[in-house]
Amino acid sequence: MRQFTRAQAAAYGFLTVTLLFCLLPFLWVALASVDPNATMFLSLPKAITADHFVKIFTANNGGRWFFNSLVTVGATTAVVVIVGGMGGYALSRTNAWWKRPFLYAIILVRVLPPTALIVPLYKVMLSANGLMGALVRSVVPPDSTRAAMRIFGFVDGYLGLILVLSAMQLPLALWIIKTYFDLTPKDYEEAALMDGANGWQRLHRILVPLALPGLGAAGLLTFIGAWGDFLMPLTFTSSAELQLLPIGLFRAFQRANTIDYGYLSALALLYMLPAVAAFGLARRFLVRTFTGGIKG
Amino acid sequence: MASISIENVRKNFGAVEVIKGVSFEVADGQFAVLVGPSGCGKSTLLRMIAGLESVTEGDIKLDGKRINDVPPDQRGIAMVFQSYALYPHMTVAENIGFSLELKRVPKARIRAQVGQVAELLQLSELLDRRPSALSGGQRQRVAIGRAIIKQPRVILFDEPLSNLDASLRVQMRAELQRLHQELRPTIVYVTHDQIEAMTMADTIVVLNCGNVAQWAHPIELYRRPGSTFVATFIGSPRMNLIRGMIARQEVMPSFTAAEGWTVPLAGRNLTAADGQPVWLGIRPEDIRLVDAGSAADLSCKVAIVERLGAETYLSVVNGAETLLVRVQGDVALRPGDTVQLALDPAGFHLFDQTETRF
Repeated sequence: MRQFTRAQAAAYGFLTVTLLFCLLPFLWVALASVDPNATMFLSLPKAITADHFVKIFTANNGGRWFFNSLVTVGATTAVVVIVGGMGGYALSRTNAWWKRPFLYAIILVRVLPPTALIVPLYKVMLSANGLMGALVRSVVPPDSTRAAMRIFGFVDGYLGLILVLSAMQLPLALWIIKTYFDLTPKDYEEAALMDGANGWQRLHRILVPLALPGLGAAGLLTFIGAWGDFLMPLTFTSSAELQLLPIGLFRAFQRANTIDYGYLSALALLYMLPAVAAFGLARRFLVRTFTGGIKG
Repeated sequence: MASISIENVRKNFGAVEVIKGVSFEVADGQFAVLVGPSGCGKSTLLRMIAGLESVTEGDIKLDGKRINDVPPDQRGIAMVFQSYALYPHMTVAENIGFSLELKRVPKARIRAQVGQVAELLQLSELLDRRPSALSGGQRQRVAIGRAIIKQPRVILFDEPLSNLDASLRVQMRAELQRLHQELRPTIVYVTHDQIEAMTMADTIVVLNCGNVAQWAHPIELYRRPGSTFVATFIGSPRMNLIRGMIARQEVMPSFTAAEGWTVPLAGRNLTAADGQPVWLGIRPEDIRLVDAGSAADLSCKVAIVERLGAETYLSVVNGAETLLVRVQGDVALRPGDTVQLALDPAGFHLFDQTETRF
């Protein structure tokens, strides 16, 4: 039998306490979400219920929040992967003098606290919203203007929120994809060119399959980042039908005098699921991207 | 199949001139090797023939037709890359058949043609594998298969054996020669390895700093190198170059080395060159060891003995000169021993001060 030294025992003890400290909130959320009498203290439920989950979708508009979140974050991920894919490729292959300054400049977007940018950003979006409003009114009948602006509006519209979330996530995606393309030899494209592939064929038959791990990793980080964003949906949406899950969760916490811990936990669990699922699906891309490039 | 002519071709990258007016020709069905040290522009020239680099000045012609502005895939040229560049997400069969698939050739015909090529290259068992599951030699063969399935007029090879180990390289050299004899394509092959160049080429273009140093048949290059650069680049071990001058002599011109010894230069008319500083080139196999007492040209001290079994390389020193001597079989010599050397006048190569052949 292996003998533990006192220092090792202390180390293991410390790690165990740290582990419990990290795990307990998850355990609490999981238990409280099915406990009819959930309190703010950790306890084993005496009975198990699905009422909290049912309440999210029936008494409240949880299905809508979930849908809104999936649409905006899904579209954000698509925008970032497409724009980041093309931009990352261009940044990797160009030797232009502005490449380095540009790369450092865009990373500033990640470095600056978003809260500090919110006022000027809101101002810009409000002006853009005015222009979009004029455009929409000129092509859409008056009774459909509001519905159209809910989709195309820059403030309190899907499009605005998608663009803002994309802009926040794009710098990191560009860096990841650019670095991935740096590790992808130009020979593959040239071989395809010699084989007679045109621009589109080189893109979808060679470049995209080769870059898939990089695109997947960037997409995953974008999805998780945008899914967890709270400030942007809070600032740029106000109507109830555009409410996203994190805002729904926040308002449920604020709303009542007595907090319904079971309901909050169920909502929190629901909010966590897509991020965890996305990670589970795309984890291998992360590993392949951050452990080095194409293996011929 | 096609002939290629390169006419006064230049290439600039920004302000840097990489190819400085290169001209040579490759006849239909010939195996031409571009050889030269790293950075001499040989890969750039190959990429220009392929159409992957633009031509700054001059013409590249295929069967007499200028192809400078023809897109790479319409030149009828295939290329084997140094890295092989096999698409990692496709199987061997998909890699080989990719160009046919792009041309919308019916699937059954692609399968048949891939099968034929695979058989020729002994890849039939590996068609369903991905490149990552292949050895270096197998990947090399897939890359060649991908080139020949297009039935190109010209195949370009960019240092294709440089990623293989020594024994596999010898084997692949033989396979490439066999393929060339069977299919007779026109081949332009780039390498920095003069042994590859000598063993495979019908014609060799030696490049140095973006210029053609010499363009000739391999044996011609070996026997009559046009400059000290070619003299020392072609041939292994490299040719000895000895500094000295043409001595004034009434009857017969002679070479006097900087270290003082003299050898006659019989059968050459060097009257005009009297007193001129020159380089005398002599290959290690043209120097013989002779017994003490018999007629020797110079005497040296042995510095290093390299025994290869069938032959022995001796590095010998005479003052500031170091000469390499190639001796058949083994010799009982040790560093520090003194040896008498006789130089074979038939193996003399004289180069003037501009390092050009006399």
